[in-house]
Amino acid sequence: MGELIRRIRYLLSWRERHAELADEMEFHREMAAQAGKKHFGNDLRLREEANDAWGWVWLERLQQDLRFALRIAFRSPGFTAAVVLILAVGIGVNLGAFSFFNSVALKLMPVRDAERIVRLERRSPNNYTSEMSYPSFLFYREHAKSLSATIAVLGVPPMQIDDDLQPTSVSFVTGNYFSELGTPARYGRMLDPADDVAESPAAAVLSYGVWQRLFGGDPAVVGRVIHLNGVPATVVGVTPFEFASLGGQHPDVWLSISQQPHLIARSTVLNEWGSLSVRMWGKLAPGVRPEAAARELRSLTDELRKQRPYAVWDDERIEVSPGGHLQVMQPEQYRVAGLVGVLTLLILVVTCTNTGGLMLARAVAREREIGIRVSLGAGSARIFRQLCTESLLLAAAGSLAGLALAYVAMRVVLAKADAPGWISAAPDWRVAIFSVGVTILAALFFGLAPALQVTRRRGRSVSVRQVLVGIQIAASCVLLIVASLLTRAAEHAIYKYPGFEYQQLFSIDPQLGHHGYKPEAARTYFDRMTNQLVAVPGVSGVALVKLPPLGHAVTREDTEVHGRTVKIYPNWVSPEFFGAMGIPIRLGRTFYPGEQNAVIVSESFARQQWPAENPLGQKVGDDGSTKDVVVGVVGDAHINALSDDDAMEEYWPEGKDDWPSMTIVVRTATGDGQTLVSATKAINARLDPIVFPEIRKIGTLYHENARDIEVVASVVSAVGMVAVALSCMGIVGLVAYTVSLRMKEIAIRMVLGAGSRSVLATVLNQFRWPMFVGIVCGISIAAAGSAALRVALYGVGNLDPASYVGGCALLVAIFSLSMFLPATRALRLNISSILRRD
Amino acid sequence: MPMRDISKPASPANVLTMLILRVLQGGELHGYAIAQRIHVLSSELLAVEEGLLYPTLQKMLVKGWVKAEWGVSDTNRKVRIYQLTAAGRKQLAAELHEYEQMTSAIQDILRTA
Repeated sequence: MGELIRRIRYLLSWRERHAELADEMEFHREMAAQAGKKHFGNDLRLREEANDAWGWVWLERLQQDLRFALRIAFRSPGFTAAVVLILAVGIGVNLGAFSFFNSVALKLMPVRDAERIVRLERRSPNNYTSEMSYPSFLFYREHAKSLSATIAVLGVPPMQIDDDLQPTSVSFVTGNYFSELGTPARYGRMLDPADDVAESPAAAVLSYGVWQRLFGGDPAVVGRVIHLNGVPATVVGVTPFEFASLGGQHPDVWLSISQQPHLIARSTVLNEWGSLSVRMWGKLAPGVRPEAAARELRSLTDELRKQRPYAVWDDERIEVSPGGHLQVMQPEQYRVAGLVGVLTLLILVVTCTNTGGLMLARAVAREREIGIRVSLGAGSARIFRQLCTESLLLAAAGSLAGLALAYVAMRVVLAKADAPGWISAAPDWRVAIFSVGVTILAALFFGLAPALQVTRRRGRSVSVRQVLVGIQIAASCVLLIVASLLTRAAEHAIYKYPGFEYQQLFSIDPQLGHHGYKPEAARTYFDRMTNQLVAVPGVSGVALVKLPPLGHAVTREDTEVHGRTVKIYPNWVSPEFFGAMGIPIRLGRTFYPGEQNAVIVSESFARQQWPAENPLGQKVGDDGSTKDVVVGVVGDAHINALSDDDAMEEYWPEGKDDWPSMTIVVRTATGDGQTLVSATKAINARLDPIVFPEIRKIGTLYHENARDIEVVASVVSAVGMVAVALSCMGIVGLVAYTVSLRMKEIAIRMVLGAGSRSVLATVLNQFRWPMFVGIVCGISIAAAGSAALRVALYGVGNLDPASYVGGCALLVAIFSLSMFLPATRALRLNISSILRRD
Repeated sequence: MPMRDISKPASPANVLTMLILRVLQGGELHGYAIAQRIHVLSSELLAVEEGLLYPTLQKMLVKGWVKAEWGVSDTNRKVRIYQLTAAGRKQLAAELHEYEQMTSAIQDILRTA
């Protein structure tokens, strides 16, 4: 330790120490001369040897290398600028993607004990749901010792605030929500446990956004009484702009969960063991590991099954996942993230091989300078280090520029995506470490090959160039294929007809179950509502359905056919459903009113289950006694899962217990549906004023869905094209360089009578193999990797031939062109001047 | 007795370190005086060139076995004077011990083999 301190002190005062030593040795020589001894030896070298004992030689050499690298870089500013720009794009893309991933999945939210927050979901081998019933939540809250706090969040359909026409999103939370997160109030106070009692007055907390929008940012909003769906509540506070909420939810208004029956009149959801309504979060007790908590919760689940067997599935457990990040990541999302990572890495490979080619060309041009250095005594290790330092310098410059690019891009994305206020685009320590890693990787990629070739001086070996070109082609091939796959999937998703007429279609959801309606009362409501809706001008079809199109929930079930288990998308509909939705009936008929034990299946279902037989009359069902008979076959509709091509759909008539959960779908002839909306509200007010039906336009939802896909696909395509453009520039440069190398040889050949074709062949033949190998590798990698893309490839197989053929053809065309242009330059050479040169 | 690699304790650089430490045990000296002392005490057999002396002295400074201060020589010239440190004394004892072991082992072989 003391030695290290001594060395550092030497470093800090190295100039004085050098002078001291020179002085000392001078004195020694004086004394020796007096005694008559001659001295031999080189002063400077002896002094250097003595100073080297302190172990800072490497630092000195590094300084020298850096100074030299800077001089070389500034000597050819055009080259340096081009390299830095190319690297900035390649590295910037990687940094941007990682920065985004970091904000979403790695960075902990700025709340209290974020690393202890967990999300709790019910799981079993056959089922999963992200919500549980409130009484179950209370059971776990009371008995779970491994959790220091439990929080429940209840989401409801949008409500109307005062007279505002825009629907406001509302969330009911347990009293400890804000205190556990440690949220400071912008104005007033946040909700606390005292508000979470049914008898307390209804207290509401406003979000920053709605406070600005509806109340003009007026601080006097605290204490005001607002009306939500007509029910009064007092505003007690406003959340700050940088508010971080669990799971990235951003409702406009927060209320205590005990107030829910008050706001949604006659709702019994808080007492129902069977209704899945709340999302459960918790905080691990200090020192408790998630596995231990999961074990305790499992035993509690078994205990609960004994008390309430119908509230718990077979083999159910509670899944504990980290909840302190913006997004609670599911496994498929990790796969997508990994895929994006690989794609950005490919872009990095393209930029690096590109830069590598440029560096190679320049390195060979510096052979004379390096030859002189070698003859002056530089070891090849020293020269190799020098070239590596130059590469690192360029990589570092490109990295800084890339960081700036990524920052700007993140700012734009955050602004457009309306991200929560606490996320910032500024890089944190993870991004910094990642950029250092990427810089070193990039420097290795593009700096190593040329450096090795030059210091070995193996002559102008063609292999390094060919390898570089091959890698570029392979990487570009993969990128182009993936880009075209995604673009085709996007087209498919946007322009494909889903199976039902989504234009001019509306869904009306009165949420009768949440208002405590019993099935008979619900049925009466729906009878009256549909009868009156049919009379509204412009309405051409009215039907009832339990799971409306593009709804809030997606459900899959298991059913049995011929003893085999089949996964299906179930639904419960009224007889007019298929007509109103525009779903064609292929075989048989729709239901009769009041029909029982009948079922209607989709085309794909019928084709898969009964390929050779008539589907009508077949039996479906998993009950031992009563099975349902197929009475009709309809076209595939993809009502709730647009992206799943596998449309195994099954429809039943409304069962007598389904009435409180039914919704209405209405088809209008033309117009924006304003008449329909006001008519619905008027009819509803006459039937039951406490009900606030949620009215949604299916066409708008469909287009929003499509737009997201479109954005992703266009971004990927753009990036792919950028990468290919970079590759082209690299190829053009490499080929031009090849031509310039062999100019003399070509000139002689032409003088000796070679035709233009054989001249071109001379130049281009060396790229034949790299092209072939590159494309083959590219196709294999794309085929292997695109299996992971399945989740995003709507309706397009991952081995879609059109994409592969199209991608490769485009690639070959582009590269042939880029090779051709500089090669033809060889034909227009001024032969005599070349032969006379040198 | 632990085995020793034959080359290390007997190499010239190590021996010189030991000699310098021993010479400084007798009192503080500047660089030329150390070389002179060694020359004289060995009956003019050993001559230490400055090319070997100063690198060794610097290494000893790194290791902290000696420390250097500025003083004045007999001829009123500013000069750097070296002193033994406590760590240096320990190192001297260790090296003497090692050297004695090595030489007696070599002498055993020469006598009897």
